[in-house]
Amino acid sequence: MSPILLATVEAATNAAQAGPLEGLQQTFEHFGVEPKFILLQVISFLILFGVLYKFGVKPTLATMEERNAKIASGLKNAEETQTRLAAAAQESAQIVRNAQIEAQKSIDEARKAAKEFADKQQAEAVARAADTLAKAQQAIELEHRKMLDQARSEIARLVVKTTEQVLAKKLTEADRAAYNEAATKELSAL
Amino acid sequence: MAADKKTKVLARQLFKLSLADGQVSAEKVSGVLGWVDKHEPRQPLALLKLYQNLIATELSRLNAVVTHAGPLAATALGQIEQALTKKYQRRITATARPDAKLLAGLRVHIGDDVYESSASSQLAALSV
Repeated sequence: MSPILLATVEAATNAAQAGPLEGLQQTFEHFGVEPKFILLQVISFLILFGVLYKFGVKPTLATMEERNAKIASGLKNAEETQTRLAAAAQESAQIVRNAQIEAQKSIDEARKAAKEFADKQQAEAVARAADTLAKAQQAIELEHRKMLDQARSEIARLVVKTTEQVLAKKLTEADRAAYNEAATKELSAL
Repeated sequence: MAADKKTKVLARQLFKLSLADGQVSAEKVSGVLGWVDKHEPRQPLALLKLYQNLIATELSRLNAVVTHAGPLAATALGQIEQALTKKYQRRITATARPDAKLLAGLRVHIGDDVYESSASSQLAALSV
């Protein structure tokens, strides 16, 4: 058994034999504990505690609070950033959707315009073809009439020439005299 | 060579001197030609051409050329002269000129006017 344990047992035995205060006093004396030393140690401890508190604990606590504040601020900023990021993502998604809608609208308008242009071109081509056909028909008809007129004129000319030849041979002097008499009357009546 | 203004004026003056009672007189025309031959005016050729045109125009106004095919009655020219004299209010003489191309009928030229009643003109009208 250790000497400290033996001294403790001995002191406890002595104290049990005397009164409680006396026993405690005897115990302290037995271990060499004196009040002035304890008081000095307490003062020393308080001075050391004060110095440590002022130059060690207090700056450390301030640093820790500052760091905690920074961490809290960082967390807050992170949350705000995340919120803004989510909002930005939502906004960008909305922008993309709007862009898709606009693009689809533009594509539809372009298709519509292309279809209208194609329809217009087709209609104009049909109109031009019809006009060309009508002009060709008019030209053919005009040429046909011209040919008929030429043929009619030629036939008439031949008939007249033939008639003149026949009349030149067949008209007698009496016929001519009668014709001249009628012509004289006609011209005299002018 | 074209006639100048003085030559034209002289030609008209000579033409007026060639008329007697409003008609061209052969004697006066001979006198005018003799004057031109004697005095030799400026541009004599141009002057004589203008004078000839004026005389021919006047004669054509007073003389009707009746072109005909076949026999023409002796009284026909007289009837035509009377009718034209009445129409133009001046004495018109008629001259006959045969032309077989008319086939039958008459054609009368007087000045710039033409009157026709012939078989060839009627046939020509049919061919148009």
